[in-house]
Amino acid sequence: MMQKETGYLPKRYNIKSVKEMTSDVKLLRVSSKINPLPGQFIEVSIPGIGECPLASCSFNKDYVDILLRNAGNTTSEIFKLKAGDKIYIRGPYGKGFPLETCGKDILLAAGGTGIAPVTSFIEYIEKNRKKFGKITIYFGFRNKDYILLKDKILMWKKKFNIRLTLDQKSPGYLNGFINQLIEKDHPNVENSVAFICGPEIMMKAITKSLNSLGMKNNKIFWSMERRMECGFGNCGRCTIQDVYVCENGPVFRYDFIKPRIENEEHANEVKE
Amino acid sequence: MQKVLKKKELNNFIKELMSNYEIIAPVKNGKFEIIKDPSNMELGKITIVPAKEFFLPEGETLIEFKGKKVIKTHPENKKRIIFGMRKCDLNAVKIMDSIIKDENYLSRRKNTILMGIFCEHPDEYCFCNSMELEDYYDLLFYPEDDKYYISVGSEKGKKLVAKLPEAKKEIIRIIKNFKRVPDKSIEKHYRNKIWESDANRCLSCAACTINCPTCTCFEIYDELSPDLKNGTRKRGAASCQLKSFSTVAGGKAFRNSRLARFKQFVYHKIVYYKKRNGRYMCVGCGRCLRACPPKIDWTDTINILTGMKNHDAKRNRVSAKKV
Ligand SMILES: Cc1cc2nc3c(=O)[nH]c(=O)nc-3n(C[C@H](O)[C@H](O)[C@H](O)COP(=O)(O)OP(=O)(O)OC[C@H]3O[C@@H](n4cnc5c(N)ncnc54)[C@H](O)[C@@H]3O)c2cc1C
Ligand code: SF4
Ligand code: SF4
Ligand code: FES
Repeated sequence: MMQKETGYLPKRYNIKSVKEMTSDVKLLRVSSKINPLPGQFIEVSIPGIGECPLASCSFNKDYVDILLRNAGNTTSEIFKLKAGDKIYIRGPYGKGFPLETCGKDILLAAGGTGIAPVTSFIEYIEKNRKKFGKITIYFGFRNKDYILLKDKILMWKKKFNIRLTLDQKSPGYLNGFINQLIEKDHPNVENSVAFICGPEIMMKAITKSLNSLGMKNNKIFWSMERRMECGFGNCGRCTIQDVYVCENGPVFRYDFIKPRIENEEHANEVKE
Repeated sequence: MQKVLKKKELNNFIKELMSNYEIIAPVKNGKFEIIKDPSNMELGKITIVPAKEFFLPEGETLIEFKGKKVIKTHPENKKRIIFGMRKCDLNAVKIMDSIIKDENYLSRRKNTILMGIFCEHPDEYCFCNSMELEDYYDLLFYPEDDKYYISVGSEKGKKLVAKLPEAKKEIIRIIKNFKRVPDKSIEKHYRNKIWESDANRCLSCAACTINCPTCTCFEIYDELSPDLKNGTRKRGAASCQLKSFSTVAGGKAFRNSRLARFKQFVYHKIVYYKKRNGRYMCVGCGRCLRACPPKIDWTDTINILTGMKNHDAKRNRVSAKKV
């Protein structure tokens, strides 16, 4: 068991490489031996600018990959960094994907930058291939220019059943949302566990499709996002009712988190 | 065995402690302050502002940057005594202890002795008796006639009163409350529409969370020196009553409605924290009710939801009468 991290002091690391993915997404490779478990996240910062939680996008003992979307104050500054620059990291934090799902068929689904945590799990599976059954991976992106981690996806195509679909029509690509593709594919989910990461609207739609194939909510896991500050259960920012996304998640079994999300959504729907 | 101290000796007793400790106590303007002169203490009333700023100072530095180096700052380790906290505030410290775990807090906490006082004058907002409070103190002063009878709760406390004589009798008193919240089983009522009548009046001003001794949620922010070479990473209070509390990059707020935010406050205090920690996060100090500009009383709402008899409930309302 890892010791629970409760300090705010980050460590300084070297950025090994930076790859541009799209106009607003880059992949940073940071030399570091922290090796987060699949699905865990880290707090990444630039001194004097700020800190933000980012998923580990790799499973490797020598580096951590960060798939970064330029979204605001801190991320836009990190976005400017180049190979050889320094970056500051504390963590890893959170509970990642339950590795006791070994032995099962795995269905993964990721939309947009939701591909980051899913990648850490895929890399774990690659390194522990014998422990898992059939692997099916769904990716969804807005259009051809928004496809992230293209090189990795091409490589995974050789090993896994990869299903990539685009929201907008584009020759040579499947078209539609992941949930539609799943319903069309009608995969056998009898011995499967599903892991999903993406916008909640998308995760909901995919969950519904999986339900329609007979998959129960206790076999479906969501990787969630909430406003965070500390990353380890102290600042109170990331809660969904009684649950702390940073500490109890960010990966949750859907049957566990569903009533909590729905209660808060219900309270949001009131007319003011 | 309790110790005794004559009331007229209190100021001298405190003064003596000042040679080894910083003394923090309630003063006239309704807050806790570091005092130099014990005669400035105001022990008769609950403070408006709790003592949490002495554990979580606003804008405290968590780490410093010197060029490319990050440095851990060492929190002050002054020995200090907080005198004059009541049962509610003492319990609030216990709750903070269960939440905040960083070194700054732990160091301040370790260096602080809690010298509490029995609450003789709860007001019409107090409902501590309904909140299953515990004994949590290093020393607790029970006023009785012209003396204080002092209960000892820890070794640290024991040392402070070592020189005082032992009491011939034991004085333990029970706080009298006017307000009651007997049944707090509101989990199943989360979606009840009655919360809308509270939330509709709420101004999202955050006075409730600012003044609550157990509200500790915070944000972390960086500051850069003018030469852009050095900087600090700081911590400041955050309030779940503000939209920004749950807002992420791009502008989505996960608690977008006042209703969602208002219920977050009440349910965190009464339901969520209890699920995780086995006790309420509210200590019944009433500060949130006193501070609320539109005078929203969520305890009243709980009483209605849990079916307190109408005539009892009426009696219980803050506007009804004093203790
Ligand atoms: C567990 C987790 C994993 C994430 N993984 C990734 C990832 O792999 N790649 C990626 O590009 N983004 C990821 N995000 C989102 C990322 O954290 C935000 O885009 C980022 O915090 C924005 O910070 P900012 O300072 O640029 O934006 P601002 O809008 O200036 O935000 C200010 C502060 O608010 C907080 N904040 C803002 N948005 C979010 C958010 N969405 N989630 C949590 N805190 C937020 C941060 O503390 C941030 O410093 C993840 C979020 C979480 C919770
Ligand atoms: S919720 Fe209100 S009554 Fe309860 S501890 Fe906080 S301020 Fe005091
Ligand atoms: S003090 Fe009253 S009005 Fe202000 S946020 Fe709290 S409940 Fe709302
Ligand atoms: S991020 Fe601070 S409690 Fe979860």
